Amino acid sequence: MSKGIPLAEALARYRADADIAPLPGSTDIDTLLNTYHPDHLRGSVVKLAVGANAGDSCQRELAGLLQAEAFIDEADLAGSPVTDIDVLVIGGGGAGCAAALAAAENGARVLLATKLRLGDSNTVMAEGGIQAAIEPDDSVQRHIQDTLRGGHHVGDPTLVSALAGDGPEVLHWLINQGMQFDQTPSGDLHTRRAGGMSTPRLVHCRDYTGLEMMRVLREAVIQHRSIEVWEQSPAVELLSNEVGQKCVGAVLTSLNNGQLRIVRTRSVILATGGLGRLHLNGFPTSNHLGATGDGLVLAYRIGARLCELDSFQYHPTGLVHPSHLAGKLVTEGVRAAGALLVNGLGQRFIDELQPRDVVCAAILRECSEGRGVRVNDQHSGVWLDTPRLERAQPGLLEKQFTSLMTRTRVAGIDPRVEPLLVHPTLHYQNGGAVIDANGATTVPGLYAVGEVSGGIHGRNRLMGNALLEIISFGRRAGAAATADRDRGPKKVTLEHVNQLRRALTLAGLPMTQRAPQILPDYAAGGVWNR
Amino acid sequence: MEPLIIQNPQVGTPQVLLHPERRVGADMSRWRSSGGGVALERAVKNPAAVLEEVRLAELRGLGGSGFPAWRKWEAVAAETPKPDKYLVVNGNEDEPGTFKDRLLLEETPHQVIEGAVVTALAIGVNRVVFYTNPDLTRSLAAMKAALEQWQASDLLAQASTALGRPLELELLPGSGHYIGGEETASMEWVEGRFPFPRGKPPYPAQAGVHGCPTLINNVETIANVPHIVAQGAEWFRALGKGSATGTKLYSLSGDVLHPGVFELPMGTPLRELIYIHGGGLLSGKPLKAVFTGGPSSTLLTPVDLDVAMDFDSLRARGANLGTGAMIVISEGTGIVKRVAEYERFFAHSSCGQCNSCKVGTANMSRLLDRIDTGCGTAADLATLKNLCTMLPGTGRCHLINGAVQLLDSAFHHFPDEFRQALH
Repeated sequence: MSKGIPLAEALARYRADADIAPLPGSTDIDTLLNTYHPDHLRGSVVKLAVGANAGDSCQRELAGLLQAEAFIDEADLAGSPVTDIDVLVIGGGGAGCAAALAAAENGARVLLATKLRLGDSNTVMAEGGIQAAIEPDDSVQRHIQDTLRGGHHVGDPTLVSALAGDGPEVLHWLINQGMQFDQTPSGDLHTRRAGGMSTPRLVHCRDYTGLEMMRVLREAVIQHRSIEVWEQSPAVELLSNEVGQKCVGAVLTSLNNGQLRIVRTRSVILATGGLGRLHLNGFPTSNHLGATGDGLVLAYRIGARLCELDSFQYHPTGLVHPSHLAGKLVTEGVRAAGALLVNGLGQRFIDELQPRDVVCAAILRECSEGRGVRVNDQHSGVWLDTPRLERAQPGLLEKQFTSLMTRTRVAGIDPRVEPLLVHPTLHYQNGGAVIDANGATTVPGLYAVGEVSGGIHGRNRLMGNALLEIISFGRRAGAAATADRDRGPKKVTLEHVNQLRRALTLAGLPMTQRAPQILPDYAAGGVWNR
Repeated sequence: MEPLIIQNPQVGTPQVLLHPERRVGADMSRWRSSGGGVALERAVKNPAAVLEEVRLAELRGLGGSGFPAWRKWEAVAAETPKPDKYLVVNGNEDEPGTFKDRLLLEETPHQVIEGAVVTALAIGVNRVVFYTNPDLTRSLAAMKAALEQWQASDLLAQASTALGRPLELELLPGSGHYIGGEETASMEWVEGRFPFPRGKPPYPAQAGVHGCPTLINNVETIANVPHIVAQGAEWFRALGKGSATGTKLYSLSGDVLHPGVFELPMGTPLRELIYIHGGGLLSGKPLKAVFTGGPSSTLLTPVDLDVAMDFDSLRARGANLGTGAMIVISEGTGIVKRVAEYERFFAHSSCGQCNSCKVGTANMSRLLDRIDTGCGTAADLATLKNLCTMLPGTGRCHLINGAVQLLDSAFHHFPDEFRQALH
């Protein structure tokens, strides 16, 4: 039951030309975060009882999945067709494509399996851009420092320096693949400065950088003769050797007919992205339909160590209303351009350009203390004051935020006259599988790249580092997975699942839940929809 | 080497071979103070009584045959040395799911050596070979250290005096081949050749290693001898359940909560082993089947849960105790896949000496792989069934028989699973 001022009443009370009182005094950031940020919600974090991270803190819903029963048993594999391949890439977003391309360039036969379609990913939703230290007064060192500081100094310096060092080379590679970037009149790459950066470093293509990147990667993957793509083929389990300690393949299924297929391989690259669609703590999400954290579940079950399982990034301004757009992002650029956040009483309550976690916590405080705008029993939010922005800078919204304008116009809202109701939305998984600079996890034969991996962003990710990460580490893992000249697997088993079951039974945990989730509960169609 | 699976604490069952006080490793003084050497002293005084005691105790061959030990002993004892007599203590242990001998060799090497020396005295053997799987590095190290202590001790000198000629003890790492555990194959290896099984007759008791009369017994069989001699046949007989005698080391593995080695009275029901000592099945699933004695035997199914696990009771059910290995699988495990894996193991392990075995196991493995991967046809299944009738008894050793027995049993118990996997 959410408190707050009913939507119609709040809308009637709203005036774009009303005077706004200045912000009241300073806010105690730590108290605000500890009281209201979703990571600190009471009961939202539990300790893991089994597995490589036993004893570590983990978000509650995620812990349920990590310590769940597997979907398949050995018997289900009887009669399943077997495919032998050098490298299996699981995930068809930017990281998966980059890894597949790098592996194929290194001479491997690659199978790229993706849950939905190639390119159905969060990569296409990246609007802002990609970070790379290419400006004359910038340096890799500054990029490293910004990234580490942004992550509250929890990130792994080795990984961060690999990431930052790859920046210029990644841009070069992307341009060679045919990707377009915005340029200055003189033809240089145009850079912007965004949150957490000490200098302009964000290279971009309009406000759809990720979409442009995915376009190029997708074409390259489809055209590469050594890469086979299986769409609508989610992984339900990894395969291990007879002692359950090395990854030697995966079991894929088909969303069309549910048939299981065994893929035997020298190495597996997980590029499965994040878990927004688990709707942790009941939050809406900006993530695409397939982001259900499958990669984390599979990796954990085969024994890979994970990190920062209790740290997630919530984007402060996800739409609340209309309901079919719930969770969709309103880019940070709108606030950067000067839009204010006001509560249902028409008051400002936070400096809009504070870091994302702080703004999030402030919005949640307004909602929980009854100053928010209530849509229904479950949902409330605060106003993003776009009409005031339009009054101050006429034409700006139309010119710079075309994607936002199109989306809201279809929904029957004009942001130039009606404020947008926003609420924090689950955006990014800061942690993930522990990797080294080659993307290798702690399990031999298993690599993780992109959002499913952890250690780079610490406890908070900077804008533009995710797009860099997927290409940088995708290519590193692709090359390393190919260099692994270990002979092919002799025996593929589900031994690691048995080991997990033994641990779960010994720990007295119920095995009522099954994982991975594959699709959210509410998703339509597909044999995996339960 | 993987760390040893430590036996889980047992409550209320007698432990002889694995009694905590006897698990002292290669520490001779601790072994002596826990009662080690008593049987040897008795055997030195009266070697002839040992055979009689073992006969009364009804000690069986615990390496899988279940053949009464005293019969083989008697046959060797009756032979004259030509010029030597051999005892091969078989610790090749390479059967999937079997891991009891490694525990005995590693934790109780002196018990095994004493057993071998007592046996040697009883039947007049002057050369003892401890034939051990070369991959069991920890067992080999423990045996090496223990044997060095024996060479320096008065026990061996006493035995040699009683025997009337020097008693030689040798530790011989095996070939690492599964087939090397077959009794005649082990003799080939002891003679320095590849372990090809020999044809029988002549039986090893007449002409074994280098043509000399040879007794070959499993490590566990030999380890029981000192206790029978020291405490008497009556005591030993009382350890077993029903008509069975002594204890048995059961190697329990698969989908159970607590896998490990359990020393239980011979004839303990399968249900007690799985559900009491093994802690039940993982995830509380129902039991599907048990591969007994390693995979080279018939399957047991839930209807057999109350069968006593001794040689005679299982044989009466058409099954086989084998080495006492119990690989438990729960509902949800694919029989086709498991059997295909084990048949691949047999195909890989066939020495290739007999054509029927070499080609037969390879073909069974290939056809099962086809069925398991969804490419099999009804004709493939018919071919497999045909092979099951053609192949048994066509090899020099039992490898082909074991391979067929497994498949035949799987067909018998789970016919639908094979049919459903067809293309």
